[in-house]
Amino acid sequence: MADLVQLVIIGLLAGGIYAAVGVGFSLVWGVLNIVNLAHGALVIVGAYLTWQIFTASGLDPFLTLPIDAVALFAFGYVVQRGVINRIIRAPLLFTFLLTFGLNLIAVNVLLLIFKSDFRSVTTAYSGAGLDLGGIVVPYIRLAALGIALLVAAALALLLNRTRVGLAIQAVGSDRDAAQLVGIDLRHAYAVTYGLGAACAGVAGGLIAMIQAITPTAGEPYTLQAFVVVILGGLGRVSATVVGGLVFGLVEAFAQSIPGSGSVFANAIAFGVMVLVLVTRPQGLLGRLR
Amino acid sequence: MTTSQRWQRILIVLGCAVIAYAVLAPLTSLDGAQALNLPLLTDKLWFRLATITAMFVVMATAWNIIGGLTGYAAFGNVAFFGIGAYTTGMLIAKAKWPFLLALPLAPVAAAIFAVLVGLPLLRLRGHYFAVASLGVGVAVGELVQNLDYRGEPIFGGASGLFMPIFAVPNRDLYFFYLMLGAAGVSIAVTWAVIRSRFGYGLIAIRENEEAAAVIGVNTTAYKVAAFALAAALTGLAGGIFAQWNVFIDQENSFPIAYNVEMILMALLGGTGTVFGPAAGAVVLQLLIQFLSGSLPITLDLPFVPEDAMPVLAQVVLGVLLALVVIFAPRGVIDFFGGRSRLTIAYLRRSLRETSI
Amino acid sequence: MTPQLDLRNVTKRFGGVAAVDGVTFSIAKGEILGVIGPNGAGKTTLLNCISGVYRLDGGDIRWHGVSIAGLAPYRVARLGVGRTFQIVKPFGSMTVRENVAVGALFGSDSERPPLRAAFDRADSVLELVGLRMKADLPVSALTIPDRKRLEVARAVATRPKLLLLDEVMAGLNNVEIDDALEMVRAVHETGVTVVLIEHVMRVIVGVCERVIVLDLGRTLADGQPDVVLRDERVIQAYLGERYARRLRGG
Repeated sequence: MADLVQLVIIGLLAGGIYAAVGVGFSLVWGVLNIVNLAHGALVIVGAYLTWQIFTASGLDPFLTLPIDAVALFAFGYVVQRGVINRIIRAPLLFTFLLTFGLNLIAVNVLLLIFKSDFRSVTTAYSGAGLDLGGIVVPYIRLAALGIALLVAAALALLLNRTRVGLAIQAVGSDRDAAQLVGIDLRHAYAVTYGLGAACAGVAGGLIAMIQAITPTAGEPYTLQAFVVVILGGLGRVSATVVGGLVFGLVEAFAQSIPGSGSVFANAIAFGVMVLVLVTRPQGLLGRLR
Repeated sequence: MTTSQRWQRILIVLGCAVIAYAVLAPLTSLDGAQALNLPLLTDKLWFRLATITAMFVVMATAWNIIGGLTGYAAFGNVAFFGIGAYTTGMLIAKAKWPFLLALPLAPVAAAIFAVLVGLPLLRLRGHYFAVASLGVGVAVGELVQNLDYRGEPIFGGASGLFMPIFAVPNRDLYFFYLMLGAAGVSIAVTWAVIRSRFGYGLIAIRENEEAAAVIGVNTTAYKVAAFALAAALTGLAGGIFAQWNVFIDQENSFPIAYNVEMILMALLGGTGTVFGPAAGAVVLQLLIQFLSGSLPITLDLPFVPEDAMPVLAQVVLGVLLALVVIFAPRGVIDFFGGRSRLTIAYLRRSLRETSI
Repeated sequence: MTPQLDLRNVTKRFGGVAAVDGVTFSIAKGEILGVIGPNGAGKTTLLNCISGVYRLDGGDIRWHGVSIAGLAPYRVARLGVGRTFQIVKPFGSMTVRENVAVGALFGSDSERPPLRAAFDRADSVLELVGLRMKADLPVSALTIPDRKRLEVARAVATRPKLLLLDEVMAGLNNVEIDDALEMVRAVHETGVTVVLIEHVMRVIVGVCERVIVLDLGRTLADGQPDVVLRDERVIQAYLGERYARRLRGG
């Protein structure tokens, strides 16, 4: 019984991170119709940013998260405006290849700068945790879950309550009609991608506090984000959050099977994806576009 | 039209010359080459480079069957390469089979695997198929490295598999010809497919799957067959690679980078054509080797240490990928093959067609 | 004698709405049948049910007495049921001739010609539909009426015994419609049963021996064109309640 509770806690904590990674990916996919293969790279760029600021200035890693968000937003905005917008109407293979190319550039530039050594953010409170009757829940992971949910809520608010958010939704549902009512498509697309990147950046910052990072550590997150979106169904932020939490739970249980473990991160993600796509292609909650 | 015909003729002549050189050069003795001071022949490196290039010709040409002809953006074909490599590897290293008996099973195993994953995955379209196939690539590599049975790694685990060296005189030459043969087979297969009922069916699926179905194309069977054919050829390359390299592990048998390199090669040379992917493979492979410093002629960049060159090569690859998809989405064959002229206007048109 | 195609209570729902709701009729070999109805009547849905694109939610479809409900589209095509799409779906990278030749290469099971013979057949079909002169053009060079012809040609090339034509006249002007009708007659004369699905009534009257009117997924009328078109319910469905009443009063 305690094992079960422990698995659920582990799953939900991991699920928070997946939700944070997933919301940005889902936004970009839903609005721009791009499966962003550079998403994992953006996550890891955020992680290195947190690590770099923390190491250089000793600033509390949680305080670096807003910096991650702003920096990644700016980066994402420029990338979309300058590069991805150029092929947004091309067949999917091309947007796919382009984002893979961006991924390749980002990861290898990180490798040039930071080498492939493991880096981690260790603070005074890193080891501390909440004791729940024998199960210790690290404070950092709890906070990460909270922040992940906060980021998702903020994104949902922004999309539903602000002018720019509504413009993004309009662009997502009908590009041509949105243009007719006077929305600047290039700007709206760039803001969307920027927001996706900002979410990825914050998620990366959280990840840097939880695990040791290398430039290639972002790679599984792209596949996992895809699975999270499939689980939740493309569209609403809340659906992606549920997808993230569900995936966290599924993974926790899958890794608890004897002989399994964290080395099978990709295989588990893939297995879940195939299972969902084949049995329930509209997602557990939503529907396919 | 005359310009394009002239270009085509020049390309054909050039191509024949390159092929003739590649095939005939190793036949001349190395001593003779050294005496004549022919640079490429004096080095073992040449064989390695030529064999790897031929290997990529196989992979790009095979990808073209599912990606170019059928229009399904397969992003995980490296799984077939790895499965081919591990099939031969396991048979040789664990079951002590002779290489030539083990090799034919590599394409068979890859094709069977392709049928098994293809049946569910090829029902998906667009993004879903692309990412799902990407997942196949990484998941299989992960399983191969980490699967244990009673604490013992089944496929050699992280330490990989070692095979005894294949005893033939002129080993380098032998494997070069073997890989070249595989390249020839894949090109011949593509040539035959394009001229067959099967090929027309695949192209019909690419152009409009629903319309293909209502004129009587068994779309599921055709897609799975195309996937399996691509897998078999890629698996063959993997099988040859295993014995040639003597050692295989997850890293050299399931490199994620191959997935996108083979696509970029096919794209560069022109998807859906017979020779395009092969041409793209030769050009891009030489470029990759040049950038990562494995060619006799190397690039010295200020401020870049030598060991960073392979990483930098990947950055350049990413930039190249971006440039090709933005400016030359129909492949360079579109202008080098004479269908269009390479002008600023052409590049701007490519840009305008897809941008907002 | 068993009819060539027999529909019994065919039903197809989307969400809770029945797009086709218990449609029953049969088609005899060699007929030329019109199916008309206002927008949203379920004409295209019905066609998709027959050709296997949709799975039925109820009822049965029989081909020469044997049920074909639930068969995949390619299997229906191989039995000899050809169809066109309302929104044309040409194979964009191929020439006009290649498009039609692919139809000939596949299609009905009766004979599967080798490549050379398929191209020969393509040429004769192109002759029949009046596209012979444009055989070597890419599809992108064709006008809208020609694209509709190509759609028909590709379906004819599959050697169908029954041909379902989905609004091949829509969007054409009067002269073009007359040409297209000529083409349909020519195809019919080769011994093919033809079902013409149309929105425009004029088309049906000119060529069909029998007309079925669909409205809201149900069969409203089934009979000779002149009888059906005088049917009050048909007039109502097409022209609206008020207009029908005025017609009655005046």
